[in-house]
Amino acid sequence: MIVADKKPIEEIIESVKEFKKILILGCNECVTVCEAGGKKEVGILASALRMFFLNQGKDVKIDEQTLERQCDHEYLEEIRDVVDQYEAILSLACGVGVQFTAEKYHSTPILPGVNTCFLGATEQRGLWTERCQACGSCILAFTGGICPVSRCAKRLLNGPCGGSSKGKCEISKDVDCAWQLIIDRLKALGKLDEYEKVQPIKNWSTDRAGGPRRVVREDVAL
Amino acid sequence: MLAEMEPPKGVDISVMMENASRVKGEIDAFVVPEMSNAVMRMSALGGALLLQKNGMDTVMQVCCRDRNRLALQADLLAAGASGVKHIMVVTGEDPGFGDHHQAKAVYDLTLLELLDAIEKMENGHDMSGIDLCGSPQFLVGSTVNAGLSAQALESELSEMNQKIKSGVDFFITPPLFDIASIKPFLSCVDLSKTPIIPTVLLLKSLGMARYMARNVKHVHIPDELVRRIQNAPDKARECVNIAAETVHAIKEHGFSGVCISTIGWEDKVPDILKNIS
Repeated sequence: MIVADKKPIEEIIESVKEFKKILILGCNECVTVCEAGGKKEVGILASALRMFFLNQGKDVKIDEQTLERQCDHEYLEEIRDVVDQYEAILSLACGVGVQFTAEKYHSTPILPGVNTCFLGATEQRGLWTERCQACGSCILAFTGGICPVSRCAKRLLNGPCGGSSKGKCEISKDVDCAWQLIIDRLKALGKLDEYEKVQPIKNWSTDRAGGPRRVVREDVAL
Repeated sequence: MLAEMEPPKGVDISVMMENASRVKGEIDAFVVPEMSNAVMRMSALGGALLLQKNGMDTVMQVCCRDRNRLALQADLLAAGASGVKHIMVVTGEDPGFGDHHQAKAVYDLTLLELLDAIEKMENGHDMSGIDLCGSPQFLVGSTVNAGLSAQALESELSEMNQKIKSGVDFFITPPLFDIASIKPFLSCVDLSKTPIIPTVLLLKSLGMARYMARNVKHVHIPDELVRRIQNAPDKARECVNIAAETVHAIKEHGFSGVCISTIGWEDKVPDILKNIS
């Protein structure tokens, strides 16, 4: 999923303080799972903002709504009839949702309420870690299902750099050495011979380096 | 008078050195591109140092595409310590345009951030604020697209002013074939205050002229110029004449200089210089 983190309340207040009618728009997907932008967080943020404006002696209307997704036209249509009632929408979706909402409603400022961080997984309650950088050319088949692009600090594709110690990365004792994990996993799978195969120099044109990307699927297009 | 001098794609520097030496006394400095069009070749720093070593002044390009802030600063220190006095900052074309399509572009710094870094270094500090042991001093150039008009020109001029505030001392334009085509730009810029150096590009063939006229935005090639090449018995000679005449026109117009670009035909630079009336 896309993992996001809450923006500091001071930053959010700075971005919305001039508006009198604000809709806080949550998203039921990834940001709900990572507890940054779902219905619950929309409610908490709305309460915080109401308290702030009350203390300031300002009369600001703050409404709450959470859509199934903000990255799909059909769900974004649900707010079409109410958008004009607001001077701004504070979206707690990931950067995709914020932009898609903005593309749909040109005349309303759409502001981000979370920082979109990475593609990751919930390791435990309150801990999300990165697993994928969407490089567009997956090599997990050769690396025991562990991604060196997202998990090795140097994105090395052919073994460790030599800087790891006791299975941890040289950048931090809290970060696993991705290549230690890969070798351990290949051993467990009885596929250590995969490690001997030299991976070719990576084609980064499928990564963000090749400019904004898109996927075209004629087989599913209407 | 500037002339572009592409470093070689390889370690044989004989052609570059020979071409440069032939016009050494007539060119004030050689502009050394940093892998223009994202085509891999010797670095601008390497090319500039080789020319400097042989007594030729250079304008070394510094490009945001291939180096992060560590490498950019490191190369600027190397250039400054080796006698490079003029640099030109560029953003750089995407690797997709060049011959290494799979490369990852860097773009750690934007052009304005790079300019800010250069200013900091000139004032004795690196980007982290740590004192330098001796600071480099550069005359800094950048690019400006003089061929724009209307709203696009407005934003280009605003960017140009931002660059000036960030320390740019002179600007080099894209190829200019017809001074009249940049009238909107000239009406907004005081040439006596802002040093503008147009590029004079040597057309190599009728096909190149036609292609550029049709496909290169904001570069105006008059129809009569294309016809002139078409009707000339010796087309290459006519292209040299056109370049020489354009240099002459630019000199007459009060620009701060001119930059001759021959993209691979550096051996023609002496001919162009000889034909300037």
